[in-house]
Amino acid sequence: MVVQKTVAELNYGLSLPHRKMEDWRWTDLRQLVDKPYPPRQTVVAAPKDVERLLKSSPFAKVAGSRLVFVNGHLSLENSETGLVQQSKGKILGVATQISTDEPVITMNAAFATDGARLKISGTTDTPIELLFLATNADARTIATRNVIEIEKGAAATLIETHLGEGTYLSNSVTEIRVGEGARLDRIKVELEAADAIHLAHTHTTLGKNTVFNDFTLTSGAKTNRQNGTVEFKGQGTEARVSGAYMLGGKQHADTRLLIDHQVPHCTSREIFKCVMDDNARGIFQGKVIVQRDAQKTDGKQSSHALLLSETAEFDAKPELEIFADDVVCGHGATSGDLNHDHLFYLMSRGIPPAEAKSLLIATFVGEAFDLIAHEGIKEALVKFSNKWLSQHRRAS
Amino acid sequence: MLEIKNLHVKLADEDRVILNGLTLSVKAGEVHAIMGPNGSGKSTLSYVLSGREGYEVTEGSVTYKGEDLLAMTPSDRAARGVFLAFQYPIEIPGVATMQFLKVALNSQRKARGEKEMTTPDFMRLVKERAAKLNIGPEMLKRPVNVGFSGGEKKRAEILQMAVLEPALCVLDETDSGLDIDAMRVVADGVNSLRSPDRAMIVITHYQRLLDYIVPDHVHVLSRGRIVKSGGKSLALELEAKGYAEFESEAA
Repeated sequence: MVVQKTVAELNYGLSLPHRKMEDWRWTDLRQLVDKPYPPRQTVVAAPKDVERLLKSSPFAKVAGSRLVFVNGHLSLENSETGLVQQSKGKILGVATQISTDEPVITMNAAFATDGARLKISGTTDTPIELLFLATNADARTIATRNVIEIEKGAAATLIETHLGEGTYLSNSVTEIRVGEGARLDRIKVELEAADAIHLAHTHTTLGKNTVFNDFTLTSGAKTNRQNGTVEFKGQGTEARVSGAYMLGGKQHADTRLLIDHQVPHCTSREIFKCVMDDNARGIFQGKVIVQRDAQKTDGKQSSHALLLSETAEFDAKPELEIFADDVVCGHGATSGDLNHDHLFYLMSRGIPPAEAKSLLIATFVGEAFDLIAHEGIKEALVKFSNKWLSQHRRAS
Repeated sequence: MLEIKNLHVKLADEDRVILNGLTLSVKAGEVHAIMGPNGSGKSTLSYVLSGREGYEVTEGSVTYKGEDLLAMTPSDRAARGVFLAFQYPIEIPGVATMQFLKVALNSQRKARGEKEMTTPDFMRLVKERAAKLNIGPEMLKRPVNVGFSGGEKKRAEILQMAVLEPALCVLDETDSGLDIDAMRVVADGVNSLRSPDRAMIVITHYQRLLDYIVPDHVHVLSRGRIVKSGGKSLALELEAKGYAEFESEAA
């Protein structure tokens, strides 16, 4: 069969994933990438645009130090480098060990212009934020690549925020290595512009006795596809990968997680809480692999969707591939609308229908926020969620 | 306060008729007991008064303080003083009891055009009312009704009633699942809320609750209508004879 190449493929030699590829069956980039989105465009941002976007970050007051990337390039004048040792302006794209048969990574390797390279030693409670901004300009690809290394025994909280205005395709690849006995709490917030496309891949390798808590809020972009791979390389390690969707309009978000248990005595948990309104479509594909040597693995994943309209849709594809014989693994997925008994009970006590619904939705996503240890970050997310809910409030 | 006239109610998605010409008049200050066998329509009456979906009124009217109660949303009814103590209180995971109570109280106050209660005043009010019902702070910290025993759930319902101070209290089988001691605590809570400007409808299958909450009027509900009314002695009569007489009478 001859497949006609898309404009983006013809112009930039790319090969976009499409629905015949199992992992991409719900997110056909040949259709969803609707324009050429040329890469490596130089866009000079007006300071007032940058300022407006900076102010719109939910974490404006939370982060201790912050690296700001504007249109794919580090902007030192907007950054607060305090805690961070950064290597400015260096393209890190190609010097990576992660496999490149992933289309998002291939594209990123070709197009990345900049990114953060962080090596964190010691322990800090103050969050470090990587903030990626896109200002309004002609449609283009903005690709960045980060390499984060948490050294032996270190502990850090890292925020990754994506904000923007206009039409663009953001491609973000992050490589994370957590060293022996280290801890990383990572919070990613995707609030790209309403017309943007967000493609991401995060590849995490975990050493011995590490703790990795990963949370992603997905609420921006018209099309979103986020891949996550977590490799367990050392025993006694715990990883919790959680997330929340708050989607409306015609938004499309697809998360593909691969949890790869390679060694014994590790624990993994995936918990996703997805709220979808209007014609939004959410997808959660979670795969847990337990290799032959990974005995005593404890791995569980769950995804829960709350559909606020009859036209919203949620697809879950949980998979377990177990090659070891002494493990505890499980998965569960639910999808439905608000519980009518709960609603009636709240209303019967005088809470008007719209408020009663908001309270129940906030409680539903709040269960995912509760997994975040940092109080300031949690509060910022609750505030964001309340704002989202007030924009999606209706009585019937 | 409440005038129910010739009320006919069926299930919204079935043809089954549950209330079949029920008429009842309740004045401020009165306590009415409604007794009846299983399936006579007792719980349906409580749900129709509180506005639960799934029921269709085919005939008759319910007037509350001169207004058409059936035209109001459940939250409007609550704001105007109608309160249902559920037979099976609903568990709402993730919603803290205190937050729920505060949102409920302030929603009602807002709807009535009153000022919202401040957090310290609210805390004081709840603590004071909770103490009378043997409800400790640890119970208030839990999510609404989650992990509560049967008795705790019923006490929590009465606490809500005590905090929200409704004008019309409908108690649906508040005694079910309670041992004698728990029932006494609940009944004391209810009795302390009796007042000349508050009316109560106590729905029960058994007479024993009425030893503690003494009604002014007792009605027998059978097959969706009131078939006999009388004073508190009627309850004792029912306890002795059972409902058989009324079931055949209605048939």
